[in-house]
Amino acid sequence: MHKVINQEIKQIINACPEVGRILEEYNIGCVPCSVGSCLLKDVVGIHNLDPQREATLMYRLEKAIYPDRNVPKPVVDMTKKSAPKEITYSPPVKKLVDEHVLIKRLLALIPSVVEYTETSVKVDKNLILKCVDFIRTYADKYHHMKEEDILFKYVDDKAEIIQIMFKDHDTGRGHVRQAVEGAEKGNKSQIKEHLLAYRDLLTQHIKKEDEILYPWIDRQLSVTQVGEMFRKCSEADASVGDELPKKYERFIIELEEKFLEEVTK
Amino acid sequence: MSGCPGSRTIDFSEKANQEGSESGKRPSQLRQWPIQMHLVSPMAPYFQGRDILLAADCTAFALGDFHKDYLKGKSIAIACPKLDSDQEVYVEKIKSLIDDAKINTLSVIIMQVPCCFGLAQIAKEGAEKASRKIPVKQIVVGLEGNILSEEWI
Ligand SMILES: [Fe+2]
Ligand SMILES: [Fe+2]
Repeated sequence: MHKVINQEIKQIINACPEVGRILEEYNIGCVPCSVGSCLLKDVVGIHNLDPQREATLMYRLEKAIYPDRNVPKPVVDMTKKSAPKEITYSPPVKKLVDEHVLIKRLLALIPSVVEYTETSVKVDKNLILKCVDFIRTYADKYHHMKEEDILFKYVDDKAEIIQIMFKDHDTGRGHVRQAVEGAEKGNKSQIKEHLLAYRDLLTQHIKKEDEILYPWIDRQLSVTQVGEMFRKCSEADASVGDELPKKYERFIIELEEKFLEEVTK
Repeated sequence: MSGCPGSRTIDFSEKANQEGSESGKRPSQLRQWPIQMHLVSPMAPYFQGRDILLAADCTAFALGDFHKDYLKGKSIAIACPKLDSDQEVYVEKIKSLIDDAKINTLSVIIMQVPCCFGLAQIAKEGAEKASRKIPVKQIVVGLEGNILSEEWI
């Protein structure tokens, strides 16, 4: 088992599909992942299962990989802290989770914006560009930059999971460029395609961050690092000013009022 | 069972000396003097920009690995929220530690008895009064030296 846990997960699943099925049962979705070069030990570690579940999972994986081997029953490492039932974040990470909330409010409005665009005679270019401004300024500049320049620096940013986050941010920027082009040209289907794709991408991305990546990074931070990161994030926020997040919250409220009214009309 | 849980008599002597390793010497992690909250000055060099542990007096005796797990790498101030007088001074000192000494973080370690939460309250008040914001952590120690909770507040 020693050797296997240091192998890339995709290789293991290719050689033994049963492993993918078992991981799926534990909500560890490696099968659909496009890259899959995480090592098995990191895959298990990152999900922070409680000791009993982790031992049972490792036992089942070993049984699946080596059916002929006489695998000893799971040994539970009770010294390892079990996974907390509710995720708690350190203050600087909690701030990032809170910023996701406003981004998710925009994501929730995208289908209405798309529908409105499709049904109006002429594309409301201004509306699309305002949404794009929110994405570029609030989601990307204000939020993603803190992740890329501060948070991710506390772990090995060559780690695959971090690389995937960078890639998601980049893919998102691509969709936004396409949506802008659609708005300039008045191309409704281009706007629709890329705003909806952005919504899907960011929904999954934020879920991964809130539930897996952030708690994983938090578990590795020392108290000193939490303080330092808090200071760096506060400085980054101060450099753009208090007004910026308020302005974008007002924008979301306006948009919600506009489209909620549409629905109730 | 009645009366104040903070001073109720409980004997768990059979438990003492049961587990753990006795081998090896453990060096003290204390890097400063004084340590009592009334005696320390927020201007002391050992507080500037550091991670601070605000410890209820009893915690150091209850926790077997107080030095190794909690004091190491931090500067400390100790206090008893049940018996100490002039605790308004404590609130001001916390505020000054945050604003003037620009401490990095504040960890408050207390016993599980209800009166001990007064110290966490003092820390919160001081932190709220301060104009700088820093992360504040609360660690609660059980009577038998176990960690009951550890959370950012
Ligand atoms: Fe992100
Ligand atoms: Fe994010």
